[in-house]
Amino acid sequence: MEVEVTFLSRRGTAVMRRSQRASGERVRLGRGTDNEVKLSDIHVGLRAAALAMRDGALYVDRLDTSPLEVNGATVETAPVKPGDVIVLGPYRIEILPAPEGCDGAIQVEMTQPAGAALEGAAAAPIGLERAGVGKRTYAWSGFLLLAVICLAVPVFFFAGGVVKPWQKDTPTPAAPKIVGLSWNAGTVSNAHRFFVADCATCHQNAFIQVSDKACMSCHDTIASHVPHGAKLGSVGKELAGLDCVDCHTEHRGIQGSVIREAHLCLDCHQDLDKKVPDAKVHDVGGWPKGHPQFRVTLVADAAKKEMVRAELGTNPPPMDHPGLKFSHAAHLVKGGFPVLGYKQMGCADCHIPDTGGQEFKPITYKDQCERCHQLTFDKVALPWPDAKVPHGDDTGVIAAVWNYYAGLALRGGTDAAPMLPSAPSERRGAGMSAPPAPPPPPTDTPAWVTAKSMTALQIIFDDKRGCAYCHYSTTTNGDWDTPKILAGALPPKANPPHVVTPPILRTRFLPQAYFDHSSHRAMTCEDCHASRTAKTSSEVLIPGIDNCVKCHGGENASLTAQSTCISCHYFHRSEFGLMGMTAETAQ
Amino acid sequence: MSVSDSTAYASRVGRLSRHVSFLAYNNFRYLKMAVAAVIVAIILYIAVPPYGERYGGGWAGYTLGTVGALLIVWLTWFGYRKRAYDPESKYVRASAAAADTAHLPEDPSRLARRLSAHVYLGLALLIIATLHTGFHFGWNIHTLAYALMCIVIVSGIYGVVAYARYPRLMTQNRQSQTMAQLQAQIVAIDAELRRRAMPLDDRTARIVRDSIDNTPIGGSRWRQLSGNYPDCGTTRAIAELGTRPDGDEEIWRLLRTKLDEKGALVDRLRRDVRYKALMDIWLYFHVPLTFALIAALIAHIISIFYMM
Repeated sequence: MEVEVTFLSRRGTAVMRRSQRASGERVRLGRGTDNEVKLSDIHVGLRAAALAMRDGALYVDRLDTSPLEVNGATVETAPVKPGDVIVLGPYRIEILPAPEGCDGAIQVEMTQPAGAALEGAAAAPIGLERAGVGKRTYAWSGFLLLAVICLAVPVFFFAGGVVKPWQKDTPTPAAPKIVGLSWNAGTVSNAHRFFVADCATCHQNAFIQVSDKACMSCHDTIASHVPHGAKLGSVGKELAGLDCVDCHTEHRGIQGSVIREAHLCLDCHQDLDKKVPDAKVHDVGGWPKGHPQFRVTLVADAAKKEMVRAELGTNPPPMDHPGLKFSHAAHLVKGGFPVLGYKQMGCADCHIPDTGGQEFKPITYKDQCERCHQLTFDKVALPWPDAKVPHGDDTGVIAAVWNYYAGLALRGGTDAAPMLPSAPSERRGAGMSAPPAPPPPPTDTPAWVTAKSMTALQIIFDDKRGCAYCHYSTTTNGDWDTPKILAGALPPKANPPHVVTPPILRTRFLPQAYFDHSSHRAMTCEDCHASRTAKTSSEVLIPGIDNCVKCHGGENASLTAQSTCISCHYFHRSEFGLMGMTAETAQ
Repeated sequence: MSVSDSTAYASRVGRLSRHVSFLAYNNFRYLKMAVAAVIVAIILYIAVPPYGERYGGGWAGYTLGTVGALLIVWLTWFGYRKRAYDPESKYVRASAAAADTAHLPEDPSRLARRLSAHVYLGLALLIIATLHTGFHFGWNIHTLAYALMCIVIVSGIYGVVAYARYPRLMTQNRQSQTMAQLQAQIVAIDAELRRRAMPLDDRTARIVRDSIDNTPIGGSRWRQLSGNYPDCGTTRAIAELGTRPDGDEEIWRLLRTKLDEKGALVDRLRRDVRYKALMDIWLYFHVPLTFALIAALIAHIISIFYMM
């Protein structure tokens, strides 16, 4: 067969053709030099394919393993006609109409010239900037992404009210929660966590500090620091200008929003004595150094109900006058009172902690003293049921005694006054011994009743078994001269004066501070209170500052317990009424 | 200049007259400045505590934060300043006038001074911003801004190390040839291989073809950085040709030699690409994250004052 072979090459727009005839039994195409059509490229096999005439038609057959493509399809053999395209390696072979004398004609063109290698190398992505998205794109995307996520979306949520104040039973949907929390600048205190995702609960206005109104929406009964109406001068102005957030910080940790640093309190209290002398608050320079000695509030005069504030640790020591004769030493004596069932008395036998254990319940006769000190008298001596005088009502006792004898006189008792005409007389029973002859009847009944009452009251009020054993009378020096005391008091009149001075047993001797006994329960009472040696009730058993500083150091102490002002003192004093009254105190 | 002349000169200026790293610019002037700033920041942090634990607020916290924010803006500005080449540009004119280089024998570029300041004050920023956090972190935009800043600074540290290390390695690798020269050599070897393989059997032709067609240099960013080209035709060709000739020894030896030579050149080219990529990659973090940081910083500042 004979085939016309045209080699085509292009240079820019110029096209060059070079034709030759190839003849043979088959027209073979390949890299080898013995092929009829030499395709000089190593991408083509030595003998790649062959054109052959079969049954008058032109066929192309694959000879080796290199792929043969005819019109886009990979084939082993295929008939070809003018217009078909064979691809062998980088060569594109187009079948042309056969000219005169030939069985076929092909046009061979190399579509991937080897010279492209150099350009190819230059086109390979070398250098990071050519291998992907550039820095500028990343920079813009990063900026916009974060501007949207961190700024635009949260501002939209807050300004648009999507993040609402907390409302009970109205859960916030998740998206505003997450967005709200993305702006959270610090751990919220435990007590406020339940609305931490509802920022608008506290942050009610943009770019404005959390207002007192926001805090007071829950904390509406918060108490004042100073008494209502106190005159505080410039300090009062400062206090009135305080906002909640000046002392209470949030987003500063789970432990709470109260500022513990002493420095905050000392700003005012280090020279309060100079600024507001009427407050009678000593200057405090710190704790423990700079803190004045404790001043206990004592009873100056129980009868006049006067209190006094005295400094501890003075010489002579301060004296309490509670109006009760009591010796701790006598009660805590070694060996106790076996007869009464107390092997050895201890503090807990009388001092009962209140619920919570901070303080102790008030001492009362009924709870503490009556078990041992019963006001019982011989039946003969007193006509009382069980012969027990009721405690606590001195004028009542006087009246009751007098009424008893008055009643006796009315009925005509064993040595009673002469019977009144209507009073029946006692008959002597048969066989009974005669009662002793009655003394001569007094001449008037009231005097008799008074005399009998006085005798009985002298027993009741006496200092061996009666009131005078523990109590003071209402006379100037508190001594007991019953006839003198009761002179003119019998018969009893309406609103009689008290005979016994009611004692004032304080439960808090340091009312400006709060001492919590329950947190000290690992100690014993006597570690701080020298009760075993206290022989009288005027001894003050409250320890001074020297006792506390043994364990309680400053706010940054490392070898003692860290303590600060609010460890013992409160700012908000419920006894002073609601906060907000400080506006009135600004003078 | 003789050796004795240069040593005399050296003793006069205290060192040999040669390139001075930007890190050592002007006797470590900016290092000293940065250290001073850090010391002041630490003193402020320790001596002025707010109520409660330290955090970004309180006047010490706000001072540190303001200084940090200004530093961030100034450091970002360096990216603009370093491209100011125009001698008429107000930045170039001004700093040329201000540069007091009279006492230095050589004329260090303005860029070196700016870069020295940028690096040292950037390192100082890391410490100042960390103090500003009060060491409190959480899942919020504030810590996000801090984290972005840290990544930017750490990538900058990498950049300084890379710039100190890789240029020398690249020079050694290139052995006084440019990349274009190396590429041309490879192309020449390819042409030789093509020519030599033309009359050979199909298997050998395929092997050689594989080496010519499938020897990538460069590629994706990951490929360039790792220098790992598992799919390399030349490696395969060398392996397939084996250690013993299979047929004509001379032609085998020629092909093998050429392939080995090509392999060495390709390795050098790839190593060069890798070093260059390693020198450039940090900027893809350093610059884009700076802008992300600026967005986060603006959000941080606005949010703090929005939610007072």
